[in-house]
Amino acid sequence: MLEIRNLHVKIADEDTSILKGVDLVVPKGEVHAIMGPNGSGKSTLAYVLAGREDYEVTEGDILWNGDSVLEMPPDERAARGVFLAFQYPMEIPGVAGITFLRTALNSLRKKRGQPELTTPEFMKLLRERAGKLEIDVEMLKRPVNVGFSGGEKKRSEILQMALLEPTMCVLDETDSGLDIDALRIVADGVNALRAPDRAMLVITHYQRLLNYIVPDKVHVLANGRIQRTGGKELALELERSGYAEFASKAA
Amino acid sequence: MKTKAEAAITESFEAVSRQLPGGAAVREERRNAIGTFAALGLPHRRIEEWKYTDLRALLKEAFAPAVRGAAAPSEAELQAALGPLAGLDAYRVVVVDGAFDERLSSARMPEGLAVKPLGEALAQSPDRIGEGLVRSSRPGDALEALNSAFATDGAVVRIADGAAPDKPVLLVFARAGGERKAVTTRNVISIGKGAVVTLVEAFVALPGAAKEGHSNAATEIVIGEDAAVTHVKANVDTGKTVHLGSANARIGAGAAYRAFQLTAGPGLARNQIFATFAGEGGRLDCSGVFLAAGDEHIDTTLVVDHAVPGCESRELYKGVLDGRARGIFQGKVIVRPDAQKSDGKQMAQALMLSPDAEFDSKPELEIYADDVVCGHGSTSAEIDPELVFYCMSRGIPEPQARALLIESFVGEAIEKVEDEAIRAALMAMAREWLSKRTAPEPGRA
Repeated sequence: MLEIRNLHVKIADEDTSILKGVDLVVPKGEVHAIMGPNGSGKSTLAYVLAGREDYEVTEGDILWNGDSVLEMPPDERAARGVFLAFQYPMEIPGVAGITFLRTALNSLRKKRGQPELTTPEFMKLLRERAGKLEIDVEMLKRPVNVGFSGGEKKRSEILQMALLEPTMCVLDETDSGLDIDALRIVADGVNALRAPDRAMLVITHYQRLLNYIVPDKVHVLANGRIQRTGGKELALELERSGYAEFASKAA
Repeated sequence: MKTKAEAAITESFEAVSRQLPGGAAVREERRNAIGTFAALGLPHRRIEEWKYTDLRALLKEAFAPAVRGAAAPSEAELQAALGPLAGLDAYRVVVVDGAFDERLSSARMPEGLAVKPLGEALAQSPDRIGEGLVRSSRPGDALEALNSAFATDGAVVRIADGAAPDKPVLLVFARAGGERKAVTTRNVISIGKGAVVTLVEAFVALPGAAKEGHSNAATEIVIGEDAAVTHVKANVDTGKTVHLGSANARIGAGAAYRAFQLTAGPGLARNQIFATFAGEGGRLDCSGVFLAAGDEHIDTTLVVDHAVPGCESRELYKGVLDGRARGIFQGKVIVRPDAQKSDGKQMAQALMLSPDAEFDSKPELEIYADDVVCGHGSTSAEIDPELVFYCMSRGIPEPQARALLIESFVGEAIEKVEDEAIRAALMAMAREWLSKRTAPEPGRA
């Protein structure tokens, strides 16, 4: 279970606070969506969960399976099962996708006390997982994300997720830049990972994605706090009314 | 005023000149060369091309010239010295301490590829040819003058028109023996029309080689029309060695010359490459990786002469600098008045692992024609913290994440080498250096 308690976050070296008391619980087996206007702190929340250094938690706590993750470096969080699918996946020129994936998977396996995979074992797993996402393994011989289209980058993020098998998945604006076909492939990939021991937090600006990844709960984040929580119908309501209501609350 | 080292070099010539290979005309050529050097002295910072590498100040001592190779390393020792290149399937020419080693060299060469040790060629050739073998195409260059004066051995390679040897030619220059010395080697390579060949030069230290040593290595390479040549140079010599390397390439019409240098090991290295387009439609692809830590100093100086129209040159250099290391890239592109439609681009990038490291990059464009495309760029940066975060968020610990990113940075230049086996060996050599020298920063806050 993910528990976020009264989380206050500011940008390190700056005074502006972005999150001002976020409270949120995502039980295992559930998919929750976070929606909100631009600048509401959605991506900040995603980064803080993954442990990015440029943010400073000034108050509150993040617990995953009962343990605070705040003092853990990102790789330690990953070992505990945390995974962030980036809004803008990074390009790593010079590192072949396969090398990157294998290094990541074996680092995690080592930390989790599992034996590292041999090359044939890894390739078998990779082919199987990539196939489901309609990713050509040949493409993964190229440097990580370099020259990939927006859709290819997002699919490659979901492939990482499928391969690393995290238990806490955070998807940051996974739908941005995707056409309808790519969206369906990505959503299918995510849905296939829904499992009783896995919690998911889907961050999005638009309702569209939630037609494909149907959430158990929807939270509205605005002005650094969760303003409202509801069922999947809340997303449809927001699609009609927009975020104006929450913007005015802030003013 | 001559420095101690300059005086010692000139004097040592008198001591060894009789032992150097070559007949009367060669001796005369060598005498002229040492005369040129005596007049020039070691290059120093007041000479523009040597602004960042003040050899007069840096080279405090001269070592005795190696004239007769005494070491007889075993195949196993050579393999150990070659490291990742040991497995390369190639026609091999081995020079140990400046002397051709027949035992370790390939006995047979394929048709169209003729290789002769320079020492033997000098001893056997008629005067005129011998003279040509030691004469530099840039006789006024102090390093090349020294090379002409002292060169003992190396490879004279001739590739016939249209020949395409089935394997690369690997020229190994190994340092051996416990005593400090100055080794001078020289290759003279001519490549026939339409030939396709890959040459690899490896500068390595054999087990037990002295910590200090000097090497001066020159390669003269003339590339025939429409030939395609890959010329890789890997210097992974160890210890406080000084390497002074010069390459002169003449690129024929329609020919492609792809050169790559990996420098990872010597304490002080200067790699100078002079490439001239001799015919239209030539292409030069020059790239390299320099890795330096501690007080190491690696200088890459390129001069590309677009002497004729319609040629293309590309340069990509990447360096990783740690400690108080210094990396230098000087890239000059000359476009002569008639050389219209010339296309020249260069890029030099350094990854700075320490605040005390220094990267000096000096592009120079001398363009005398009006219809040309030329560009240059240079960057120096630290490892991108966002990329480190990305890797760590996938479970890769910080030290490995940093190592992976450094590898990826140099990998982009190594990618330029088309031969897969050579590329893999170069990457492995770079990785070996990186794992030894760049201690990860544990627990960086």
